[in-house]
Amino acid sequence: MSASTPSPRAAAPSLSAWVGGLLASEWTKFRSLRSTYWALLIAAVTAVGGSAALAGPSGRQGSAFDPLASIFVGWLEYPVLAVGILGVMTITSEHSTGQIRTTFAAVPQRLAVLGAKTAVLGAVVLVLGELLAFGSFFLSQALVSGGPGLSLSGAGVLRGVLAGGFTLFVIAVTGFALGVIVRHTAGAVAVLPAVVYMPLLFLALPAPWDNRVGKFTLLMAAYQATSLHPQAGLLSPAWSLVVLVAWPVTLLLIGCILVTHRDA
Amino acid sequence: MIEVHDLIKTFGPLTALDRLSFSVLPGRVTGFLGPNGAGKTTTMRVILGLDDPTSGSALVAGRRYRDIVWPLHEVGSLLDANAAHPGRSAEDHLLSLALSNGIGRRRVRSMLELTGLAPVAAKRLRTFSLGMKQRLGIAAALLGDPPVLVFDEPVNGLDPEGVLWIRELFKALAAEGRTVFVSSHLMSEMALTADHLVIIGRGRLLVDMTTDSFVSTNARTDVLVRSPRAGELAELLTARGAGVRAEAADALGVTGLSAAEIGELAAGRGIALHELVNRRASLEQAYLDITGTTVEYRSGLPAQGEGQQ
Repeated sequence: MSASTPSPRAAAPSLSAWVGGLLASEWTKFRSLRSTYWALLIAAVTAVGGSAALAGPSGRQGSAFDPLASIFVGWLEYPVLAVGILGVMTITSEHSTGQIRTTFAAVPQRLAVLGAKTAVLGAVVLVLGELLAFGSFFLSQALVSGGPGLSLSGAGVLRGVLAGGFTLFVIAVTGFALGVIVRHTAGAVAVLPAVVYMPLLFLALPAPWDNRVGKFTLLMAAYQATSLHPQAGLLSPAWSLVVLVAWPVTLLLIGCILVTHRDA
Repeated sequence: MIEVHDLIKTFGPLTALDRLSFSVLPGRVTGFLGPNGAGKTTTMRVILGLDDPTSGSALVAGRRYRDIVWPLHEVGSLLDANAAHPGRSAEDHLLSLALSNGIGRRRVRSMLELTGLAPVAAKRLRTFSLGMKQRLGIAAALLGDPPVLVFDEPVNGLDPEGVLWIRELFKALAAEGRTVFVSSHLMSEMALTADHLVIIGRGRLLVDMTTDSFVSTNARTDVLVRSPRAGELAELLTARGAGVRAEAADALGVTGLSAAEIGELAAGRGIALHELVNRRASLEQAYLDITGTTVEYRSGLPAQGEGQQ
């Protein structure tokens, strides 16, 4: 009928077989939903489109113009939200549909599930983010014919472009961690922009407190990390990268503690 | 084999499971019965490591579920047929589960065949009826060919053909030596499927016995007698040692004497009988009597009393 007589307990798998299975499982989930492709498409179109628009004459205005960071300023609106929401949905859609109970029944090692989801989401968004970062860079350089004309070999340029792609990765994992903590799509999607755009609140603080607090936010850290000429009052690009990493890591750790103690 | 030992689960002031202990043995279908809210689903969730018990333990093959690596090879389960992402196809849903436990695509295909879902394997789950989702859940439970199976209300949403199919499937799985643990709120369904019954009410164990002994202990028999001279007949029967319960002005429920003896007795006194019927209380009735006791007992308490342990 079903197969045969009950098989004796399968031998415990090797660590690589176990991890490989988890990654394959989460990859299957990731690739088998249409919403994944919509989010990635929106991120791609708005990232490249935004950079191209900002590279044009109308975009190159204001005293704080940075020839490199300005390419990525446009990213901070739509692409960031698209990958952030993709990160949120990676876990909240499992909660809202009840899939999470099926998932945890198949893999009761919940932290491993979070790890595999982070790896799959992170790898896809990192690769896409870097592709878009370089695409945006070359496109914008082609558009600013009479402009600065940056080359990748210039000081700080390669670092800035890589940091641009890395920012999308950071935001996606941050969104995922928020989803783990909040569990509800609407709640997590509401918290996401608050976390990403927090500096807009701190800008209201009297100087120098706006920068003293603001430099630890995702938005300012991303700006500094992608700047050709980092601002003096903020963290260095290297420390800004540390801030960028600290956000998702901290939130993920909180999520890990919660997920092991909650009923599914 | 599943061993539930002294399980207590509280949700705030509510006690869902109250020192619950029982074992589910291999080679037979064990029916898990109780009214809504009795704690059946909570028990199963604790067994599957989805909920943590407040105290006590639930072991599968001697281990906590959360300690099992690749548990689909050990325990197959279906708690909620809707617990699947509606945007995913049936095959991708099963494949994601299979891969997480080192099971290949071929097994996924054969489980789709077994459950009759092969023709709709590529369809997204939002298009599935509840019955189709139940079949998908059973396919998922069987993926790892596990020796232990746990199903929560698997018959819900199935058409009669599906009910028959699942009943035969459970019996076949048990006959292969597997542990089959199936919850239901329908005594009639379990009477047909289960070899053993575990009945709980308000989180407490009420019955843990074979279906056969449950039937013989609990299916009361008595004789309904209707007569215009019921009062007179009642005295006569009581004098002969029968148990008599007045059910209406002209109706008696009699135990301890057969219908023939009652008839003879009445004829001897010239008492006319309008009805003389052997009655066998249904299993459903026995079940309601047992679970109803707990409900009555509880509802007699003041509302705040439930939280005071």
